[in-house]
Formats: sequence, structure tokens, C-alpha cells
Amino acid sequence: MLNKEILKALTKIVGEERVLTSKEDLLSYAYDAYVEEFLPEAVLFPKTAAEVSQILKIAGQKQLFITPRGGGSGLASCGLAKQGGIILCFTQMNRILEINRPNRYAVVEPGVVVSDFQQEIEKIGLFYPPDPGSASVATIGGTVAMNAGGMRGIKYGVTRDYLLGLEVVLPSGEIIKTGSITNKDVTGYDLTRLLCGSEGTLGLITQVTLKLLPKPKFKRTLQAIYNTIDQAGNTVSKIVEEGIVPATLELMDNTVIKALEDFAHLGLSTDAQAILVLEVDGDDLAYIEKQTNIIADFCRGQGARDVRVSRSDKESEQLWMARRAAFGAVARLRPNCVIEDATVPVSYLTQAIKEILAIAQRNRVQIAVLAHAGDGNLHPLVLCDLRDKEEMKRVDKAMDEIVDLAISMGGVLSGEHGIGIAKAKYLSRQLSPPVLELMRTIKKTLDPQGILNPGSFLECA
Amino acid sequence: MKNTKILAEVYNCIKCGICLNPCPVYKQKLLEAASPRGKVQLVRNILEGKLQPSENFMRILFTCLLCETCTVNCPSGLSIDQVLKAMRREIVKKYGLPWKKKFLFELLTGKRFLPFYFFWARILMHSLLPLYPGKGKLGTIPFQRLPGLNSLPFLERIPEITPVFKAKGRVLYFTGCATNYLSGDIGDAVLQVLSALGVEVITPKEQMCCGLPVFLAGAPEMAMVNIKNNISIFKAYEADVVIVDCATCGSALKKEYPRLLAEMGEITAEAEELSKKVLDISEYLTRFDLKKILHPMPKRVTYHDPCHLIRSQKIREEPRFVLQQIPDLEFKEMPGADVCCGGGGTFQWEHPEIAAQITSQKIKNIEKTQAEIVATGCPGCRLQIFGNLPNEEVKVVHPVQILAWSLGEGK
Repeated sequence: MLNKEILKALTKIVGEERVLTSKEDLLSYAYDAYVEEFLPEAVLFPKTAAEVSQILKIAGQKQLFITPRGGGSGLASCGLAKQGGIILCFTQMNRILEINRPNRYAVVEPGVVVSDFQQEIEKIGLFYPPDPGSASVATIGGTVAMNAGGMRGIKYGVTRDYLLGLEVVLPSGEIIKTGSITNKDVTGYDLTRLLCGSEGTLGLITQVTLKLLPKPKFKRTLQAIYNTIDQAGNTVSKIVEEGIVPATLELMDNTVIKALEDFAHLGLSTDAQAILVLEVDGDDLAYIEKQTNIIADFCRGQGARDVRVSRSDKESEQLWMARRAAFGAVARLRPNCVIEDATVPVSYLTQAIKEILAIAQRNRVQIAVLAHAGDGNLHPLVLCDLRDKEEMKRVDKAMDEIVDLAISMGGVLSGEHGIGIAKAKYLSRQLSPPVLELMRTIKKTLDPQGILNPGSFLECA
Repeated sequence: MKNTKILAEVYNCIKCGICLNPCPVYKQKLLEAASPRGKVQLVRNILEGKLQPSENFMRILFTCLLCETCTVNCPSGLSIDQVLKAMRREIVKKYGLPWKKKFLFELLTGKRFLPFYFFWARILMHSLLPLYPGKGKLGTIPFQRLPGLNSLPFLERIPEITPVFKAKGRVLYFTGCATNYLSGDIGDAVLQVLSALGVEVITPKEQMCCGLPVFLAGAPEMAMVNIKNNISIFKAYEADVVIVDCATCGSALKKEYPRLLAEMGEITAEAEELSKKVLDISEYLTRFDLKKILHPMPKRVTYHDPCHLIRSQKIREEPRFVLQQIPDLEFKEMPGADVCCGGGGTFQWEHPEIAAQITSQKIKNIEKTQAEIVATGCPGCRLQIFGNLPNEEVKVVHPVQILAWSLGEGK
């Protein structure tokens, strides 16, 4: 428990300006973008690894719980003080320390907002592909801790694929460096990737070295419009099977289309049952044009009633901006939205969507379907009202069935949002007892006292 | 609570956080309570009884520019600014206004008090101006950069009807306080341009401050006298168009009057009637072939979007179009033209340290254009930008002033 004496010691480390304890401030750090809320006892804003280290040392001495947090756009309560204690919020530790063009890497502090970073490096022709819907909210540190994915996964992979190294403060207070600045590095265990996706349970990230790509010179955005969601799903499987690799391949159903149109007024076909939004990119304009035509013909062949190519970069950007806001936009329909994240092998996409809609009907819940379709990453949006307890019971049951469905198809619990408390109870459905035990051993080795992000997935499983 | 309906919108906030990064205040403070999401969630906690309204909450609530950037960016469609304004009204009922604001607002709303103050201020300003401490500031703005008062209020100086030969149109003119008390030259420019176009202008003498600054601070009862007065004054004239030269007044007459009256349980029909007639001067001027009356003016001009034009009234193209009618004028768009300048009415006065950081970004963007003139249709923005521009040679004016200059030989 936090007492006056401990608070005084912590305040000495970061200064009064960067310690919050008022009721109003604590309530402001009780939530992320998931539905559950937990009140912290104080919120601290570190600015250096040394400060983080000192804080963790005190936490170790006093058995004080520490939970890291970034932009607060998480979807599984990972950055919330689930068992009380301190939130370490990294938003003010937000400098871009180095952009190295000759070797194509950048070193950033964890609080840099993903889209701010992308804009900065794109000015000099570089490119950082991970593109979660929350890119304008999420911090780099948060996306590393969660191994965030996003829309460009099909061609470019996820956050993990762009990590070269980390600076991490271990629960003991020790500051370590993992990885390197070179692309190739097989020296020892890959601790960088162990920490990536560890949901803030193993160490606190204080610096990130990211691999960058040259920015593709040209891109084209297409919308393929369908009268049935099956046709759209089949198109996706076939595109992947044929070896066509778009940069993004997104699917949205009628509910999502209408909500986005209501928000962004883009002239989307609100009578369509599904739309695929695709982007192709590259350096050779002639090749891009050719690929655009191939995809357009392909979609028509699979039953698209119309294929539209964006006329300008601005038009494309507006469409992608709207797509990123889809989670928020569906909140126009109901007060709350629980976003599912089950992921299946892409050839099962159509079948998975079909069964999810059946699950919705069976449990009388409203589910809108959104998907990073190209990598089988489904985002069923379960629309609900938390205040309606009876409805929430049915929502829980539907979620449960969706998880079983994904696992039965060889898929996973969560493609990119993380386990947190949202999916913890399902963990043993995917991970075997020895695997869970191994994970617990790793956690105990690094954090024997269990002071870092308590109440996380392993403890709830 | 009177405002329950609008406040209940907070239940549609899904906490996605899309509003954080575009918010100028959050971007400086990087604290959740400084963000729109943070404030909306606190309102929800109050509605649910988990938080009691406190002075700290009031401070958080007023650390906001009301620039409406969050509202236009909210995917869930919340009118965040309306929620926060409604909450301000609730909390001001409990804690009252700080005395400095109270004094200012009594000036703006009091019919008798203002001319009296004005008379003394004019005398004092002239004799005391040289005595102002050289380095003193009002918020972020050095004393020397504050505008002087008009030697006579604009409304007292001009005839009620500005006649033209063979009038091609007729408009009513709502001048706003800024033109009336501080920048009579903007009023002159409006009259000159409209006269050159053959439009007869009627400027009702009995009009009062639109009341929006008072209303936004959470004191709607104080604003009510003004609102009712203005509606009945403008109803009395026959004209299809009411022009406004101030972004804030325009958004008051167009949007806030009907909304506020409805909320106070008053009849809204006349307010809605008035609202339909109101046009920003730039909107009205797009109806004319301005090139016929304008002379070449080889100056580089950039334009800043006031929050109350671009977001409250969705006016983006009109002022740019109007300026580009001037022959030889080089229009140079600045980066982030639609980002709030940091003024926010009394915000820059209450939170100078936050405002200064927001404004310095705006100034950098203006400097990138190397413009000789910055045009913007809001007195608050002009004050904030001019007050913080290092280069005194750069003029910060209303677009209609540039048009008026090019009526002659150009300047």
C-alpha cells in the first residue's frame, strides 16, 4: 500500500509536478479503451530510465505495485492498476532521440505517439509500417509492450518485426539493453522479442530502437463493394492464395459501413453488405497501376458489384482515417462496444464470419464484423450496453463461443489486442500446461516479488 | 441538473482516445485530465455520483479552449464541446465565476455600465498608456501589443443607415464588441466594401454584445438579456441577411442562441428565424464578382482559421476565396492553418503557460509562409497572433480590411 512516506520518497525522484494524487486525476487513469476500470493510488510521469529504476527499487523494498501505461488506447486493461498501486505513465517521456538514415533505424523514448513518429520519419523518406487503428493515440512503448499489429500486417508484419533493440528497467531496478542496431543479431536469447508483447509484466521499456524501411513512393487505394459478405470473404482467401500481396486488405460489413459513413461522409455505399478496402504500394508506378487493375478484375470476378479506385491521396487518406476510427464510430449505435480479436488462418475467413454471425443470432447480441481480413484477424464488434446486466451475460457467452470457434480452426485467442484481463480466462484453451508453467517461470525469474503489472494474464489464467 | 440530456451523451464515449492527439491543450500537458476524453469521463463519474464536483474539477473543466477540435474528430459523434459547456453551466451555479471574469462579463452584458466604463477607460488609457510597465503582460500578450480603444464606439460614430445609390441589396450589420469598442477600422472596411458593391447597410444602434463569451464561461443567465435584446432588435428590420464580422458572434447568432434558449425553456422560433439570416461577411461576399471593384495588391497573405469559423460554422473556403479575388495577391497557405491559435477567449489570460506553447507553434507556421499579412476573421485570434508575433512589420487583420485596402490603389 502507498503511504505518505513512500509517496514522499517517490515525489523526491520525479518532482511534485509529475505526481498526481487528486481524485479527479486518479479517475482519469482508471480506464483505457476496454470496459473495465481500476483506480490507481497515484500516477507518476517518469522522464528518464534512471528515474524509473529508482522508482522500481523503492517498489521492491516496499512491495508496491507498479503498472506501466502509454496513451491509454489498450483494449484489455493491460495498462490499468488492476490491484491498485502506482501507474507509471510514459506520455511525457517522448523524445525521438535519433533518426539514422544511413543505417535505417531510429531510437525513441517510449512515450512517442506512433503516428507522430511516422509523420516525422516520412518527411525524410523513411517508413515505419505498424499501423494499429489507434496509431494517433498509442505510444511506441505501449505498442511494443503489446506487440501491436494493424492494417499493414498482411504485407509488412507487426511491431515485433521492426524491433532491433530495447532499453529496459527490470523489476529489480537494473537497467539493461537488449538487441542492437544491426538487422542481424543472433547473440544469445532474443530478449527483445520476449519483452515485446509481454504486456508490461517483465520489465519497463525506456528506449526503443526501431528498424525502418524506405517509404514506398506510390500507393493506390481500392474499394470493392459486395452484395454478400461471403463474396467479400472468398475474395480475401483467393487473393492470398493467388499470391497477390496488397499492403492492406480490410473487410467491413454493412453495420460498420453505415457507422463510418455517418461519421466521415465519404460517400460509401451504405446499401452494400460488405466492402473490402485494399491498398497497394511500391516504387514503380506502372507496376502499381498494373497490380491495381489485376486486383480490381479479381474482385469483380469474385462477385464485387463495383470496384472504385481513389482519385487522390487525400481521398485515400480520408478513407483510411475513417477505417482507423471504426471502433469509435460504431459507438454511435450503442453505448459500449467490446471488440473481439480472434484470428484464424485466412482460408477459414468466410466460414469464421458466417459462424460468428450465427453465434450473434443464437445469443441475441448485435455483432458488426470488421477484419484485418488479409491476415485472418477478425474484429467482431460486440455492441452492447454495460448497464444492461442481462445483455452482458449474453455478450459473455457469445465471446466465449467465438474463442472456441477460433481455436477449433487452428487460430488464436488474440491477434493483436493482447490478453490482459479481457481474455485471461481463455488462456488455457490455447496454451498447454507446460507452456503456461514455462511462462510463469520466466515471470518469476524476472519479477520474483510480483510487483510489475499484477493481476495480468498469467495470474488470471 | 437542467442539462441532463446533453450530459448523458458521455455514455456514448467509448474511450478510444482519438480526441487526445488533436487537442492543443492535451498536446502540451500530456495529462489525461487535460484531454477531452479525460473531461468527458470525469463528467460521467459525476453523473454516476462517483465524483463530487470540486474546485479541482472546475479548474480541469476550464483548462479547455473550447476550440471544438475534439467534436469534429470524435468518431462516436459526441458533441464534446456542448457537453463541456453544459457542465460549465452546472458548476458555475455552484462555485460562481472568478471575480476577474465576473467584472469583464458584467461589462459585456451591462447596458449602462459599459459606456460609463468606456468613457473613463478612454481617458485613462490615453494618459496611462506610457506608464504601463514595459515588460508587463496580459496572459501571453505584452501590454504594448494590446489594442487601444476606439476614440468613439463604432456604433456611435456611424449613421444607422449607410445609403448607396441604386442599392442592389440590403443587409443588417451585427458589429460585435470588438469592432464597436476596439477595431472600428474593421467596421469601416465592411462599410466601404459593401458600399462599393452597392449594398445598403443598416447597423441597428441598440444591438448589444452577443453574449457568447459570457455564455461559454458558464453563466447563461447573464447572457440572456443580451440574447433577447439582439433577437428583438434585429427582428424589427426588414432584411434577408444579417452580416457578422466576428467568428464568435457569428457562431452565437447562428448556432448557440436557439440551442441556449431551448435549454432554458424559452421559445426558440425567433432565434431560429434570425439564425437563418446570419452570414459571416466572407460568406456574403462570395455572392459578388469582387474582381470588378478590387485593384492589384502584390502582397503575400496567409490565413488562419478561427475555431468559431472553421469548426462552429464550417467556413473554410469562403475567406480564402474572397482574398484570392484580389489581383496580384499571393495567397500562401500555412501548415496547420486550422489548428487553434491558443487564444481561446479568456483562456490565454487564465492559462498563459499553456497558451504560450500552443501559440508559438502557430507563429512558427506563420513565419514559414513569410507572409506580410496574416488574415483572420476573429478578434480573439488577431489579438493572440499579433500579441505574440516577433516581427512587428507583419500585419494581422480581418480579411475584409485587405479587401478595403485594395478598393483604392492597393496598399
